[in-house]
Amino acid sequence: MSDARAVDQVAETVRMLSVAPSPAFWVAVIAYTAASAALLFVLAGHQRFRALAIGLVAVAFVAHGVDIGWRGTQHVHPAQSVREAIGFLAFIITGGYLLASTRYRLTLGGVVVMPVSLVLLLAARLTPAGDGLEDLSSLGRIHISLATIGVGVFALASALSAIYLVEERALRKKQFDALAFKDKGAPLESLDKLAHRLIWVGFPIFTVALVLGAVWVSKLGESLDRLEYPLAGVTWVSYAILLVMRQVYGWRGRRAAKLTLTGFVAALAVLMIYLVRRMVA
Amino acid sequence: MSQLFVVGISWRTAPVAVREKLAFREEELATTLQAMTKTLPVAEALLISTCNRVEIYGVGHAGQDPTGEVRRFIAEQRGLAPAEVSDVLYDHTGPAAIRHVFRVASALDSLVLGEAQILGQLKEAYGVAGDAGTSGPVLGRCLERAFGVAKRVRTETAIARGAANVSTVAVDLAARVFNLAGKTVLVVGAGKMSTLAARHLRTQGATHIVVTNRSPQKAERLAEEIDGIAKPWEELEKLLAEADVVISSTGAREPILTRALFKKVTKARRFRPIVVVDIAVPRDAEPAISDFEGVYLFDIDNLEKVVAANLADRAKAAEQAGKIVEHEAGQFEHWMRSQGVVPTIKALREKFAQVADLEVQKTLDALARKEHTPAQQREAIQRLVQLVVNKLLHAPTTALRAAPPDEAALRAEVLCDLFGLAPDENSRESAPGLPESVPESEAEPPRETT
Repeated sequence: MSDARAVDQVAETVRMLSVAPSPAFWVAVIAYTAASAALLFVLAGHQRFRALAIGLVAVAFVAHGVDIGWRGTQHVHPAQSVREAIGFLAFIITGGYLLASTRYRLTLGGVVVMPVSLVLLLAARLTPAGDGLEDLSSLGRIHISLATIGVGVFALASALSAIYLVEERALRKKQFDALAFKDKGAPLESLDKLAHRLIWVGFPIFTVALVLGAVWVSKLGESLDRLEYPLAGVTWVSYAILLVMRQVYGWRGRRAAKLTLTGFVAALAVLMIYLVRRMVA
Repeated sequence: MSQLFVVGISWRTAPVAVREKLAFREEELATTLQAMTKTLPVAEALLISTCNRVEIYGVGHAGQDPTGEVRRFIAEQRGLAPAEVSDVLYDHTGPAAIRHVFRVASALDSLVLGEAQILGQLKEAYGVAGDAGTSGPVLGRCLERAFGVAKRVRTETAIARGAANVSTVAVDLAARVFNLAGKTVLVVGAGKMSTLAARHLRTQGATHIVVTNRSPQKAERLAEEIDGIAKPWEELEKLLAEADVVISSTGAREPILTRALFKKVTKARRFRPIVVVDIAVPRDAEPAISDFEGVYLFDIDNLEKVVAANLADRAKAAEQAGKIVEHEAGQFEHWMRSQGVVPTIKALREKFAQVADLEVQKTLDALARKEHTPAQQREAIQRLVQLVVNKLLHAPTTALRAAPPDEAALRAEVLCDLFGLAPDENSRESAPGLPESVPESEAEPPRETT
């Protein structure tokens, strides 16, 4: 009796997962976990794990990409739903981190970014899918793709800003034995500049995504009074203000980092609301 | 076998007042080394004389321990009575000497653990010994290995990580705020520490060094010394607005870098980060300036705190480094010992080859003189082998039998060990295969004599 119910539950779960994760997904999960652990070791002073850690990040990135590609062969487009987009977002974040870590020592960043990517990937694959979006127009797909890329770039900028705040605080408070201080990473100024550049890249992409989203919503004839729309507006306004203030008033450092994080938190909230809505629906 | 030795004095055993009496000037090194190898039973020698140590590394003539004579030699060279320095001089021989050289090269014996200078000084001293013709194969191998060990220690442990003095710490802290390439350094006042820090900053990529001082002459002089530009004291505010790193060490009684001044400066800078290193006592900077966005102020206590923490880390790394040195010294010792038997092995091989060649030639000549049946040829080969074996075993066998009873046991044991023999206790009276018969009395079973 209970056995039969368990079987039913499993079947139900599988249906809810839409497409079962590929073997590459599991490789990615293991690699993300191992990379996080290895980066922690590096941060604790075991420098010889550095190459291994970056290697594991690369493995995670490739496996993650293969998983997305495999889903493509199962007709699951990365921009098909917010759930898929979150998996794609994690992929972009990992790729960006990998790219940046070839130029800078971003151990602390990795310790933050790798678990985030892992959680996003798990959320994207193991949460119930709910019902798929019906008759998703190409407008919708472009909107989701661009929004994902934009938020991914913002996520990287935010990770850098978070590291900036932690390291700056340690330096300002003279906490020379803080963990953040032990890792001789990129200088504060470089973190600040890199974050600034990323926002320059992400902002136009996100702007186009926002406009297309608005057009899409009005085409569907839905109203604009849902919570996620003003939140997305908060993200856009935060970054718009940030770019202006940086350019005109020479804003930088702490204030810029805090505003970057504000914008990103709003963007993350939008994604979460979408995800929860789909799951409930 | 010749052994490595070390005789010397260092900060561990004597204060500078004593060390300076034993120090050698650079131009004295070569002649001193040559005098030593000429007059003492010393085959190879190297002399290192730095502010923290005066040491002689050398190799004595075979079977001799020259450390006593070297101690006397050092004292005499410096015009001191040997008794005066006997307490502060130390010496090591053999494995302990190897260990010491490796530790010195790896900066484990240095006053500042892991400092980089000693390796360079040792390389220099090795060069001097080479030029003076007093370094040889043993010392050469030992030092080359010591340099290798030092490199290993530096890369595999954290011994050289983390700045160990105030001026490098200042540079490290500045490097956390920005990439120093192309940055401008402002030196306010003239202290030795700020000169050092400015030099460090330049090696890290800082391109402009500006010096300012209440006394224009002093500013000019310092600017010339560190290849910077002197600017008038009155321009301080403008200079602060343009600088990225400020190193302040004036003798002023009142703060110079005040909150009021920095309020104007930070505005002019548009919050561009600025690192202020204040190494003056009393302090030049008001602590409140670090409240401004982008101002990173470090005073002497902050710097000292980092130095202390780094040194503690180095002490921890020294344990791991000690293990590396221990392992490497063991290996080198092993190599040294194997070097001792190499000539013996060579001689043994040569002698055996000689005997074999001679007998083979004789047999070949005999066979060539007339026709032989195959049976005769076979017999000749058998005889040849027998002959060679007998000849080779003749000398050791006679020596073994002729040895005094207590030594015979040892020799027999060594032979068993070398050839992997398990002597049959019943057949100890006869010696098969040996044509020479030996009197019974000399064929005493070796084991029973002990």
